[in-house]
This record gives sequence, structure tokens and C-alpha cells, in this order.
Amino acid sequence: MDKVGIVGYYQVKPGLDIMMSPYEMIFEAVRGALDYADLKRKDLTTVISATNDYYDGKTISNCFKVEAGGAYMKDESKVEMDGAHAAMYGLFRILSGNHKLAMIYGISTPSCYQYESVRVLENDPTFDRPINLLNSYTSGGMQMRAYMKAFGISEEDIAKVAVYNLKNAAKNPLALPEAKKADITIDEVLKSDILSTPLRELMYPMKCDGATAMILAPERQALKITDNPVWIIGVGNVNETYYLGDRDLSVSLSMEMAAGKAYEMAGIKDPKSEIDVAEVFGHTACEDLIIAEAAGLTDKGKGISMVDRGNLNPSGGTMAGYTPCANGLTRIVEAAKQLRNEAEGHQINGAKMAIATGQVGFCAQNNVIYVLERGGN
Amino acid sequence: MAKVQPAIISCGFCEHASKRSDVNMAELVNEAVEDCLKKAGSIEWKDIDCVINGNMPAFEGANMPELWMTDHMAAKNKPLLRVTTGGTTGGSVCIAGYYAVASGLYDTVLAVAFEQQSCGNTTVGLSSVALGEISIFPALGYDYDRLKRNLGAGAAIGIASYQAMNYMRRSKATEEDLARVVVQNRRNAAKNWWTHLKMPTITIDDVLDTPYISYPLRFGMVCPASDGACAMLFTTEEKAKQIADIPVYVNGVASYSNETAIVGIDCAGAGQVDPCEQLGAVKSAEIAYGQAGISFPNKEIDYAEVYSPFPNQELMWVERVGLFEENKAPEAYRNGVSAFNGELPINCSGGVNSTNAIGASAMERPAEAALQIMGKAGNQVPKTVHTALGHGWGGAINFITHVVMSDEPQRKWR
Amino acid sequence: MPLPDYEKKSYKRTRTMHGNWYLASYRYKFNLSRTKVFLKGLAKGHILGLKCRSCNTVSFPPRLICGRCLVKPDQWVRLPETASVSTFSANYDADDKNRERPYPIVAVQQDGTDTVWVHNLTDKFDFHDVYVGMPLKAVWAEERKGIWMDIDHYEPIEDPAIELNKKEEEM
Repeated sequence: MDKVGIVGYYQVKPGLDIMMSPYEMIFEAVRGALDYADLKRKDLTTVISATNDYYDGKTISNCFKVEAGGAYMKDESKVEMDGAHAAMYGLFRILSGNHKLAMIYGISTPSCYQYESVRVLENDPTFDRPINLLNSYTSGGMQMRAYMKAFGISEEDIAKVAVYNLKNAAKNPLALPEAKKADITIDEVLKSDILSTPLRELMYPMKCDGATAMILAPERQALKITDNPVWIIGVGNVNETYYLGDRDLSVSLSMEMAAGKAYEMAGIKDPKSEIDVAEVFGHTACEDLIIAEAAGLTDKGKGISMVDRGNLNPSGGTMAGYTPCANGLTRIVEAAKQLRNEAEGHQINGAKMAIATGQVGFCAQNNVIYVLERGGN
Repeated sequence: MAKVQPAIISCGFCEHASKRSDVNMAELVNEAVEDCLKKAGSIEWKDIDCVINGNMPAFEGANMPELWMTDHMAAKNKPLLRVTTGGTTGGSVCIAGYYAVASGLYDTVLAVAFEQQSCGNTTVGLSSVALGEISIFPALGYDYDRLKRNLGAGAAIGIASYQAMNYMRRSKATEEDLARVVVQNRRNAAKNWWTHLKMPTITIDDVLDTPYISYPLRFGMVCPASDGACAMLFTTEEKAKQIADIPVYVNGVASYSNETAIVGIDCAGAGQVDPCEQLGAVKSAEIAYGQAGISFPNKEIDYAEVYSPFPNQELMWVERVGLFEENKAPEAYRNGVSAFNGELPINCSGGVNSTNAIGASAMERPAEAALQIMGKAGNQVPKTVHTALGHGWGGAINFITHVVMSDEPQRKWR
Repeated sequence: MPLPDYEKKSYKRTRTMHGNWYLASYRYKFNLSRTKVFLKGLAKGHILGLKCRSCNTVSFPPRLICGRCLVKPDQWVRLPETASVSTFSANYDADDKNRERPYPIVAVQQDGTDTVWVHNLTDKFDFHDVYVGMPLKAVWAEERKGIWMDIDHYEPIEDPAIELNKKEEEM
């Protein structure tokens, strides 16, 4: 695969209920990314958005977002999945050679809808939905139980991950203010309300309004725009089967397969030593571990050791505020920040190689992973 | 120019009807996928590297249905991407399939678009398009009755009738001209196996006898709501030559967006003053023809499938995409240029006017155009087709998809 | 008069499950900072448009973002009361009450602007007499409250170009 450069990005500061219309948020993100890279709207050739019609409460949710997203008279499309999947479509377009500059943005405003109830619409309508047992809480609980059972992990260990993420969030200026918990203890997490046993409230991310934009360019173009680009050198995407009963929830098969492809593309033989930073998108604190393990960062069942090493989710990950449709993109942007030495307050020194992941579906059914490399000195 | 030359090797359909009550969404999709793979020769499930899918969301009440339909579209343990852009979903999925191959990341890509409208309420789905924009109006003192009157009529047919008014004024087309398009489409549909409204005996008078729905469009001119699915198989030039007798090379794709028509964002005015002007379509056509190296589309294109749920749009689009001179389409249709055995046959599959499974419709256009080049279409035209065009529109008439294909790969020296 | 029946095929019925999509549980957010200025203008009898300094397009009602330049327009301009029909349609309701005399729905382009909005014509107007490009004039409501309906409706005014158009058509 040819190198593709990340040349600009912008994150709208998240909030539980932002006093901005979605269009304004998109405008801020897209305008911010263009200004950051010192580009003009006319330089863009394609715009890919990540929104979800059920989350927006209207069909064709990108219909009115053309103007705000800078897509007027541009080659425009929408990926109705996570922002990381939209970035993959942007990658296709850049790699094809037809496009020179791609804007990718993801946005959602969970303050406008009931996230958990809307997610039930993702269920199989002939079986899971009438039974009405599968939702994002119960699937998270089942997954956590399966993981704990398979590897002999205790609730305290998972709580430790939640504490680690929330403490990291406190150092991230773009984390949700309500999620910044510098003084949180394992006890507090274990005493928080139960969502679906053994999953507790503080192991589950807070949903927040937010928008993230990112600009991609092919190698030659990227070097003209910036001397400090971040290269995407590997990508993998795999979708596994839907029914939870058919899957081993304690591991993530799809991420394993996707990571295998991405590392092969990037020429990485030993991810444990070669990857300096990982920004993973886990829907719960436990899922962070499962995905990090599946991505080959540690051995199976040893994910908790990532917490001591401190290079997993330095931004706080999903626990720093979860924006549906934009979260995967935020992970890529956070990883890119680490590689560009631009992460304020949560920088990991000397990071050269990073991974970022995105997902959709219950228990991370469809995973996408990016391998990023520092381009500047 | 794409580094890897993508080619279409097979297209599959399921039977379309107003209510496919015998299957659920997943089985409906599976019918099309099976049909596509059956015609693809040596390609099997396991040879597919990546699956792209899409349907118009919010119609069936299922968010991201591909997750639970994974096994029915051969996507288990494979990359799966969902692309949805309203009416152009099918076209966008087709274009995404093109890019997946053109990027060099995947060799064989299955693109699937589907819609089972009988599952949900299409009117509710469509009226939710601008719900977010309209819901503030009463709070700002827009009379509720008038709002219902003025914008409740919006949806697809409302916009189409605005377009029809402008088009008829520009081109002096009559209602009879519109009815002629309908008759041509429905009679063509009768000869194609998978279509919905098959009316082999329909006449212009039959159409003109039906009552108005929204002036100047009559009940008989409006597309049906169908259940259906369509699948396309893309692969690289080298593989396509081994597998297919006549591979269809995709040489130009574009989807340029315009501002919305009739209602703007956050209760603003809409940027498309004349919904018949269609700058997006003109620009998309220009770019796609440029990629394919076509300088005179009206002479070089042998067959076209345009997305026209309403007859006035068929006349308008064929002009906007450069197949006819401006305002000359009605005359050409009168002279039979666009007929089954004419010089430039258009919509011989029956078009969207006869079958509209919304999410799939925009993909059925390039798929049918590809089949005409392969010589395998349900209603195969007598002339030999070398270069063909598949077009789609959607959103608040602001999305366009444009796919140009040929039986020869792109000239390498370009 | 019904259309000739198409060739129908019957399919076996399978079990169906019911599901819902509650649109009522959604909230929609708006930025009304521009609209409020516009409505205040209406209360004073001013028709205000918002001009983008970059591309000089004027929007009415005002828009938050200029899609062509990707900036927020901020220059207010006074607009004349005249307008023209950009496009129109007539709606036939499902109930037969309006079948006899359908009401015209017009997209109005205020003079000096680059956008359209949907509004009403005089109620006593027959839609067969409407045409694209017909000049209109805004009619104010009896009492102006600073709401959208301060412009009650539009009424047609004399069209100096109509004779010209007719001649063109005859040619």
C-alpha cells in the first residue's frame, strides 16, 4: 500500500449537551481542520461523512450537511458506521489516485436522542428485538463476564482499567469535563451503579456531543502541505458473525484478523515492541483490553499489563467521552497527535509508531485498525 | 486516473414486487447475491475480498442491518463497509465498490444495495428527511396549517413537481410528452424479468386519464414502491479478463453534491433557486466523462440508464448529463430516438419509473447498463453497446452519482 | 380511470414481527442567532437578507453557513418587498375537498437574493395563472409580531415582461 498522510485534524470540544446545532459543530470541525493545515475549501476534492440516520432522527442525514461539511460541488459520500470506517473509504479514494485531498468528519449529538434505545434498532428484528434482552449494557456485561471467566480476571482488575482511563482523561484537554476524574479510586468504580452485572456505570463511557474532522492526502501532496505528516501505513477491517452465541466473547476474532492484515501491510513483525502508542476504541473498559490483546499488544489475558506500561489510550480512550460516529476518528486523531508531538498534557515521549482502532456492532462485531507512523523528525 | 482498472464481471437481481412477503430482508438480499455469483463463473463466496453494502436507512426500522445480515451477503470474516446516501445509496455503493478495487487494497469486491419498503412506512421515512429542519418553524410563528400545506407536500413528489414545472416551461414539454416516457418505461419493464410494474398494453391515454397527485404529475406517472435488491461484482482488469467473456470496465465515476432545494439548513433559504438547473449533475457528468476520456457524450455513449422516478426527470436528466441538447429531449422521445430499437436507447430495463426499491434503484442503473454491454440484459437492445452510463439522484435533489463504463479499459496513455 | 392492471405475482406470507421508530423521542437543535435578527427586522417592517462577504450571495431567510466559501456570513442587507416565483406546484390532498380547486405552492425568490423559500400566494388565486418568473410583492400581516407570518402572503403584481414572453412563445 502507498503511504497516505494525515495532514490536518480538529476536534470540537465535547460536552454532555452542547449549545450548538449539529451544522455549526460540523462547520467548526471542518473549518478548524482546514485552518490547522493551512488549506482552503477549494483544495478539497472529496468529503466523506460519518453520521447515522437513526442517531440523527432523520433519514438521509447527510442531505443537509453538504454546506456545513464543505461538500458543495465536491465528490461527497457518507459511511453509516464509525468515523474510522469513513476514514477507510477516504483512504480508498486517495489510494485510487482520483483524489488529492479528502476531508473526513464524524458527528453525533447523543443529547438529542436516547442512545441505548436507538441502539436496540441494530438488533436482528426477527429474533433479538422481540426478545428485547440484547442492548449495549447487557452485551457489555456478557462480554465482561466471558473475559473474566476465560482468563481469571477479577472485577478489581477491570476497575483498574477504568480508573487508569479516567485519570488519563483528566490530563486530556479535549476530554469531556465530566469524565475528567483525577482522584478516582478503584473502590469508587466498584461501588458505582450496576448497569448489567458485572458491568458498572464507571466502566461504561459517558456519551457526549462532539465532532471530529481529519484531512487525508497522498504522499506527495502531504509533503507539500506539512513537513510533519503522519503516515497511514497499514489498514485492516474485518466483520465477524453477528450472533453473540456464535462468537467467543473473551477474544475479538475480527480484530485479530484485521490486525494481522494491517501489520502485514505495514511490515510489522512484533507489535508488542514496535508499537509505541495504542488508541483503541472499546465500548467498555473491559473491551479496551480485549481489543488491545487482539491487536497483539500483549498476550491474551495479560491486557492488564498495558495499564502499567501506560501506552494504552493516553488520551483516556472512549472513557474520556464517547461520541458515536466520531469516536473512531477521534482515536485516529489522538494517535496522530502523539506522533506529531502535539498531545498537550498526555504526550508519550518519542512515539514513532501507533495504532488506532474503530468498531461498530455489539461486542465489537466489525473492527477496523490503522497503523500510523511518524513522518517528521 | 485510477491506478488499478476496476471492472464489473457480474450483476445480480432479485425479483421485485410491492410486497415480497415470502422473504425477509436478509433472504431478499441473498437472492440478489446468489444470482450475481451464479452468473460470475468461477467466482465463489470465498473469493470475495470485501463487501460494500447500503440501503436507505429509516425505512425498514433497522439500523445497520448488514450486521445481522452478515452471513447472507458473504461478509463473514471479511471487510464490510456500509455506504448510504439516500436515493443515491445504490450508486454510492457501486462507486465505493469501484474505489475499493481502484485503491489496490482488495481484488474482488461485492457491492450490494437493497430495500424492503413493505417492512416500513416509506412516507414516514421520507417525511423525516427535513423533520429536523421543519420542526422549528411553528416555534418561529410559521402557521401550522400552512406549514403542513407547503412543506408536508414536500417529500419526493413535491420536489419532482417543482422540477416538472420548471422543465415544462423551459422545454415546452407537454403532459403528453411526460406520459410517453411512462409508456416507454412500463412497456420495457414488461420484457425484463425482475421488474415490478409490467404493463405491456399501457397507452398514453391510459396515463393521462388518471387523476393529478401533485400538478403536473398524475397518479399514472409516479413510480411504485418496491421490495428488491441488486448486487454487483467488481474485480481488477487482469482477473476480469480471465473470468468474464465481456468484462465491463468502469472508467469514470463522480458524485458531486449541490445545496439542498426548497428547504435550507436551520430554517434558511435554499440554495437551489432553479431545481431544474442541476449543477451537480452537470459537473458530475463533466468529471466522469473526463476520467473516461469521453468528449462527445451524445455521440460516444450507446446506452444510458438514468434515475427517473417521475417522467419529467428522465427528460431533464438525459439533457443534463449531456446526451441531448438542452430542451431537445421531448422531441427526441417523440421521434423514438430513445426507444428500445432507437439510436440511443434509454432505460430499457423499465427504469425507476417501473421499479423503485429506493436503496437499490441507483445501483440497478449501472448494473443494467453493464449487463447491456455484456449482452446479458433482461431486455437486451438490438444494437451493440460499447459505452454506457448509469446515473442516480437523491437527497433533496442535491446528490448525484454518475458511472461511465465501457467494454474497453481506460486508455493507458492518458 | 384506473391504469391497466400490471402482471401481479403472489408470494407466500411469512411471519412478521413488529417494531417501532419513535421519532417523537428525538430533540433537534437549532442555531437561531441569525434568524432572531431577521425576525426582529420583520417586526419593524424590514426585510433583511444576509450577505456573504466572500462570494456576495445573499440569503433570505438568513443562513448560518455559506456553503460556497465555508464561512459564516455576517453582513445584513435591506431587501425590496418585491419577489418572483422561482418554481411552483399545486398540491392535491388525499381528501377530495381540494380536488376541485387545488392550492398553489410557490417557491419565492426575493429580489436581490440567491435563495428561495416556500410561501403562499393570495388565497383567491388560481394556480393555472401562476408561471415561473411571475413578479410578486410581499403583503404584510395586519399586526407585526416579529414572527415568520409577518409576511402574510405574496400577491402578484403587473408583469411588464409578460407581453414579451408571449411573443417569444408564439415565435
